[in-house]
Amino acid sequence: MVYFINDIITGALIGLLYALVAMGFVVIYRASKVFNFAQGELVIIGGFIVWFTTMQLGLSLWLSIPLSLVLAGLVGYAIERIFLTKLIGESVFSMVMVTVGLLILLRGLVLLLFGPAVRPFPIIFPLKPLFLGDMLIPMNLLAGGIITIVAAVGLSWFFNRTRSGLRMTAVAEDHVVASSMGISVKGSIAFAWVLGAILSTIGAMIFLSGKSLTFLASDIGFAALPVALFAGLESIGGLILAGVIIGVVQSLTTNYLDPMIGGSLGSVVPYIIMLAILLIRPTGLFGWRTIERV
Amino acid sequence: MDPSGIFPTSYRTDRRVVRTRWQAIALAVFMGLLLAAPYLASGRIIAVLNMMLISAVIAVGLQICTGYAGQINLGQAAFMGVGAYTASILASKTGMSFLLTIPLAGFAAALFGFLFGLTAARIKGFYLALTTIAAQFLFHFAVLNLPSSWMGGSNGITVPPAELFGFRIVGETSQFYMNLAVATIMIAGAFGIIRSRFGRAFVAVRDDDVAAGIMGINVAATKANAFLIGAFYAGVGGALWAYLIRFVGVDQFTLFNSIFFIAMIIVGGMGSIVGALVGVFVIRVIQEVIATVGPNIADSVSFLGGDIVFAGMNVILGGVIAGSMILEPKGLMHRWNILKSSFRIWPFPY
Repeated sequence: MVYFINDIITGALIGLLYALVAMGFVVIYRASKVFNFAQGELVIIGGFIVWFTTMQLGLSLWLSIPLSLVLAGLVGYAIERIFLTKLIGESVFSMVMVTVGLLILLRGLVLLLFGPAVRPFPIIFPLKPLFLGDMLIPMNLLAGGIITIVAAVGLSWFFNRTRSGLRMTAVAEDHVVASSMGISVKGSIAFAWVLGAILSTIGAMIFLSGKSLTFLASDIGFAALPVALFAGLESIGGLILAGVIIGVVQSLTTNYLDPMIGGSLGSVVPYIIMLAILLIRPTGLFGWRTIERV
Repeated sequence: MDPSGIFPTSYRTDRRVVRTRWQAIALAVFMGLLLAAPYLASGRIIAVLNMMLISAVIAVGLQICTGYAGQINLGQAAFMGVGAYTASILASKTGMSFLLTIPLAGFAAALFGFLFGLTAARIKGFYLALTTIAAQFLFHFAVLNLPSSWMGGSNGITVPPAELFGFRIVGETSQFYMNLAVATIMIAGAFGIIRSRFGRAFVAVRDDDVAAGIMGINVAATKANAFLIGAFYAGVGGALWAYLIRFVGVDQFTLFNSIFFIAMIIVGGMGSIVGALVGVFVIRVIQEVIATVGPNIADSVSFLGGDIVFAGMNVILGGVIAGSMILEPKGLMHRWNILKSSFRIWPFPY
């Protein structure tokens, strides 16, 4: 029974980590109407920035973490300036295709710059797990869960209550309408990518803390995709619930169902949930219901 | 636009594929050169041509699905994989002839694609693309986790050579003719599909699905059909691939391969069958150059090892996708058409 509860808690915390990475998707979508397929690559770039500033430059964590976040923001801004600014006014289809191109472009760049070698990642959160009776909870996931909830509440407030957040919401509704109302589509998209890159870097710190870093870690981007769709692409607060549900289901499948069938069903279960949710309720749990006009 | 003096007088002539005598001659010369290629070119080039022909079948399918019907499809490699696995299982277990396994591979892939296309009844826009990513993951899961006596698991399946009336189709040259025959049939079929009622429905749905629905087109069925046809082409291409490589493994059909096919149709031009062929040519040549040059560079920067080919390919193809979307979203075919019509109307601007 203790193990069962422990699995649920760990699963929920992993789900919150997925939610944090998924927040990158949602923030970019919420402020630019572009679905960013290259989210996993942003995580890995964030990971390499953190590795570079701590392991290569030898800075202390207190210095390297803020520096990494600034650098990640710059990378996000650069991507936006190089690839997406020029596409404002073109169809959303072309922007989405550009992110598909970015997916393999960034993957290749990371491989060219850093190579396929496995690297130790700095220990950002204590390695020693937290003991609660017989249960043990990894510290990085616990800290990550708290960060996710704080970030979700904060960003949710920002996008729904503040003036600049609502401006970006208008951009997500319609680029042309937004710009004709005097809202800067360019500024909104730039902000979205900076924020998306920063969130991905935080995700990388939690995910990789004390583990090893290779370019394969970008798979977390696709693991987080079902969470973003389950919550509905426009809802930041909903990510917490969606993340917890998917994390718990995945953890229980991995620990109890997989030994029975002798396969790794746990890794596909989020996708099965995603397909089901797309069929039953395409807008996700908390997504917007849009009305289409011709 | 057509040259001076050539104008359609009926709908039939307006929809012709070969519009002028020069185009007919060019087509005949092109096909003649392809038929004679094994006698003109070396084995290396025939090997590349084989890859191009197979890619052409798959890219044309993707062109119908994405370029004509406007449905982003990130699972083309998975559909190809379904075809490849179907063909190799049928060929190795039942000893069926390739004349049967290739169409059956197409149908199996079409069924798989259709299942994901069916979600179009509920989902619109790029959400549909996300279900094709799920297709990619589910395909990998199925192959790796089903009992390995079914689909070979992570070991893959060895494919027996194709055989016709006791003649074994092995070696680059005879495979080239097999691929050329299948590719010609498939591409001719694609021209037929896009000029038919279905093709017009695809274009209408791509341009505006709400408006298309109001005009009486069954939008969900059209989208599902687009996936069905696209996946059928992928399945046939996958079967050809299985016979060419004589081995199928799950690593040959990843999301990256799907993106390579997308790169082909973007470079060539969305919404043009010839564009897809041009794209296949350009991307395959780029891949070939990287595969040749890569190892030499790898010797000088040794820390990368063999991954430089894969990395370089990704950087260049990713750059090509993003670059084409930014600089020439309509593709090389559009550029060529502009050039052609400005040549025809010269010296007038329009």
